[in-house]
Amino acid sequence: MISRVADHCFWVGRYLDRAESTARLLQVTRTLAFDAELPALECWRPLVTVSGQYPDFLERFDASAADNGEIVQTYLTWAPENPVSVRNSIRGARESARSVREVLSGDIWQSTNQLFLWFMGEEASRQYIQDRDEVYRRIRSSTQLCLGLVRSTMLHDSPMDFLWLGVLLERVGQTARILDMHHHMLLGAAEGQHQILQTALWLSLLRACSGFEAFMRRSQGRVTRKSVVSFLLLEPAFPRSLRYCARSALNVMRRIWPAQDQGVAQSVAAPALARMEALDRWLGLYEEDTLPSSIHPLLTHVVDEVSQICSEVMQGLTGAPAEGTAEQSQSQ
Amino acid sequence: MTEQTLPAILDGYRPIPGTYDEMVDAAGTPRRHVGAAAELLAGLGPDEFARSQALAELALIQQGVTFSVYSDQRGAEKVMPVCLVPRVIGAEEWKRTERGLMQRLRALQLFLDDVYGEQRVLKERILPPELIHESRQYIPKLRGLRPAGGVRIHIAGVDLIRDPAGVLRVLEDNLRTPSGVSYVLENRTVTKRVFQQVMAHAGVRRVDEYPTQLAEVLRSVSPTDPDSATPVVLTPGPFNSAYFEHSFLARSMGLELVEASDLFVTGDEVFVRTTKGPRRVDVIYRRTDDAFLDPEFFRADSLLGVPGLMRAYAAGKVALVNAPGNGVADDKATYAYVPELIKFFLGEDPLLGQVPTYVCARPKDCLYVLEHLGQLVVKAVDEAGGYGMLMGPQSTAAEREEFRQKIIADPRRYIAQPRIELSTCPTWIPERRCLEPRRVDFRPFILTSRTGTWVLPGGLTRVALREGSYVVNSSQGGGSKDTWVEAER
Repeated sequence: MISRVADHCFWVGRYLDRAESTARLLQVTRTLAFDAELPALECWRPLVTVSGQYPDFLERFDASAADNGEIVQTYLTWAPENPVSVRNSIRGARESARSVREVLSGDIWQSTNQLFLWFMGEEASRQYIQDRDEVYRRIRSSTQLCLGLVRSTMLHDSPMDFLWLGVLLERVGQTARILDMHHHMLLGAAEGQHQILQTALWLSLLRACSGFEAFMRRSQGRVTRKSVVSFLLLEPAFPRSLRYCARSALNVMRRIWPAQDQGVAQSVAAPALARMEALDRWLGLYEEDTLPSSIHPLLTHVVDEVSQICSEVMQGLTGAPAEGTAEQSQSQ
Repeated sequence: MTEQTLPAILDGYRPIPGTYDEMVDAAGTPRRHVGAAAELLAGLGPDEFARSQALAELALIQQGVTFSVYSDQRGAEKVMPVCLVPRVIGAEEWKRTERGLMQRLRALQLFLDDVYGEQRVLKERILPPELIHESRQYIPKLRGLRPAGGVRIHIAGVDLIRDPAGVLRVLEDNLRTPSGVSYVLENRTVTKRVFQQVMAHAGVRRVDEYPTQLAEVLRSVSPTDPDSATPVVLTPGPFNSAYFEHSFLARSMGLELVEASDLFVTGDEVFVRTTKGPRRVDVIYRRTDDAFLDPEFFRADSLLGVPGLMRAYAAGKVALVNAPGNGVADDKATYAYVPELIKFFLGEDPLLGQVPTYVCARPKDCLYVLEHLGQLVVKAVDEAGGYGMLMGPQSTAAEREEFRQKIIADPRRYIAQPRIELSTCPTWIPERRCLEPRRVDFRPFILTSRTGTWVLPGGLTRVALREGSYVVNSSQGGGSKDTWVEAER
């Protein structure tokens, strides 16, 4: 497989998953913010932080704007100047897909192109005013369709592996950041608050990670900090947990660069592969009972390592470090 | 009023006087061979047609069947407008045309072999030697070099027009990187989808074997075993106007689409950078111009291209499709001599006519052209896409003066032809919701492998959508139509 094509496939996966995840987060936060029980909560500011764009946001708006749901939503959904806005993710996915149409299936390309045409057209702008939830829902279902088509219509070989590696690495980063953000909200805002509020926040966190139903099945309705955190970090069967994504990413990398391959490719991929193996091993050391009370350092480590791995994969493929800004580690 | 009682859209359609219409005769009666197409239109009212047209356009947008326009902002994509009324070519005429195209290609291939070999054609003055030596497309360094597989014109797109007498004539040869075949295939897909019922029994020849045939051509010229050969498609990248087509062809042949930076040359062999290390490449279907193939060979100032590629080509380690240097044969001045070339190389009379051409390199012709600018179409010999052209009858005095100066400064670069009243085809005019005659041309595609020549039974019909326009290029407001070649009965 051509290295440049691999690079584009990787980014198709990352952009699609990023668009889905950002839309999901916006949708969940809107629901949370509308909840009458939680009037004074700062729902929106953490979203900007999660996106890694807080410094850029502060350059464009004053600090109070981060509590303004409309400004934050517009910034994260539409802003052309925000590299991780939904708009730029959809555009990026479509442009990368257009550059490698020959290795994607026609169905994937058409779905991606349709999502792009709809989102950039008048219909989406109108719906954004009239029925915003529907806009977020459609972004999510369209990107999910594209990702589903990847697995059901592409050859399961290198192009798909690179695309899926992009999805998985993006997911590790997203889950880690969302978890970190909620952790802060709970430590800060929920201190001494009513149990109901805490539970509402934990459930919102699970929804933000598409994990509500899966968690309920595992925990049979018992919602505690420890059970939610360990579920999102360690549950081996939940496809968005850090452990699951890291292990899957490692498996994909091993398939792309098999250990018996002693060629150029091995040496090129060696740093990324070694780092991924270390991260997987490290996540394997934790159990529900051995998790530290503050998980912030742990999450920061994960985000930094994934960002490094992405850079190393890129460097191996194209000789250039990763583009984009979503790799910025979160420093709060 | 219900839809059934609305007049069918072909009623009341009349051709332009003095112009041949592809579908109806002067009285408006459908021609004999257009059977299924006329039947299709007879059954459609404007509402229904407009709906089908909208459906077709939506399908093209969603599939991303787009081209980029050079003059537009970087990367802007447009959908090539398509008109659903097909252009039909009868089985008999097709057979004659096919033979004529094959003959022409055979002669042009021999001409290129000769120009880059013995140059008998110059020694015997069939063609003025200056014409070759002063052509910007002639590459003297390639003389004596026989390409791997022996073929030079693997893919040709020959533009044909029909004159008022109903005769198809060659307007120009495209022997470098002719484009447009993806629209032929996509237009057919769309027509089939929209007019399922009619297409099922219309007796139209299929066009969808093109990718298979092309892949066969590429493999046939491989310097290594064709069965294990690795052909690739080389594109300048997503910002190229024909990028959709590059991607489309790579996809439908199952080949890798590469950019120059993906390739490198070691020891006269070409390799592509893959995730598992370098892989040898045997055949390159390149959709880049000669000048951007190899900076070492063509232009040291250029960073584009694959350094050493021409070395590998000269060593016979890689086949380039089409061969570099072909431009000397589709030069619009060389065109004037093609009937002579057919006689010289094949000892046959040309089966296809062409358009009378004044070659400004000939002083007598030049004088005539300068005196009749208002009646002629002047073209630069090495430009395409409707650029560098003067449509005399529709020009302003200032434009004519500009071309006068250009011709005087560099007569070799210009030719002129009388303006032919291109034939028309009924074309959907959305603003008026009716069919009106619009001028068309036709580009069939001819493939040549190591063992033989094949003509795609179909081709690209381009249509000048603006009323009164003669310029069909997509970059100048042209659209396209599906072309139906009638199956033999």
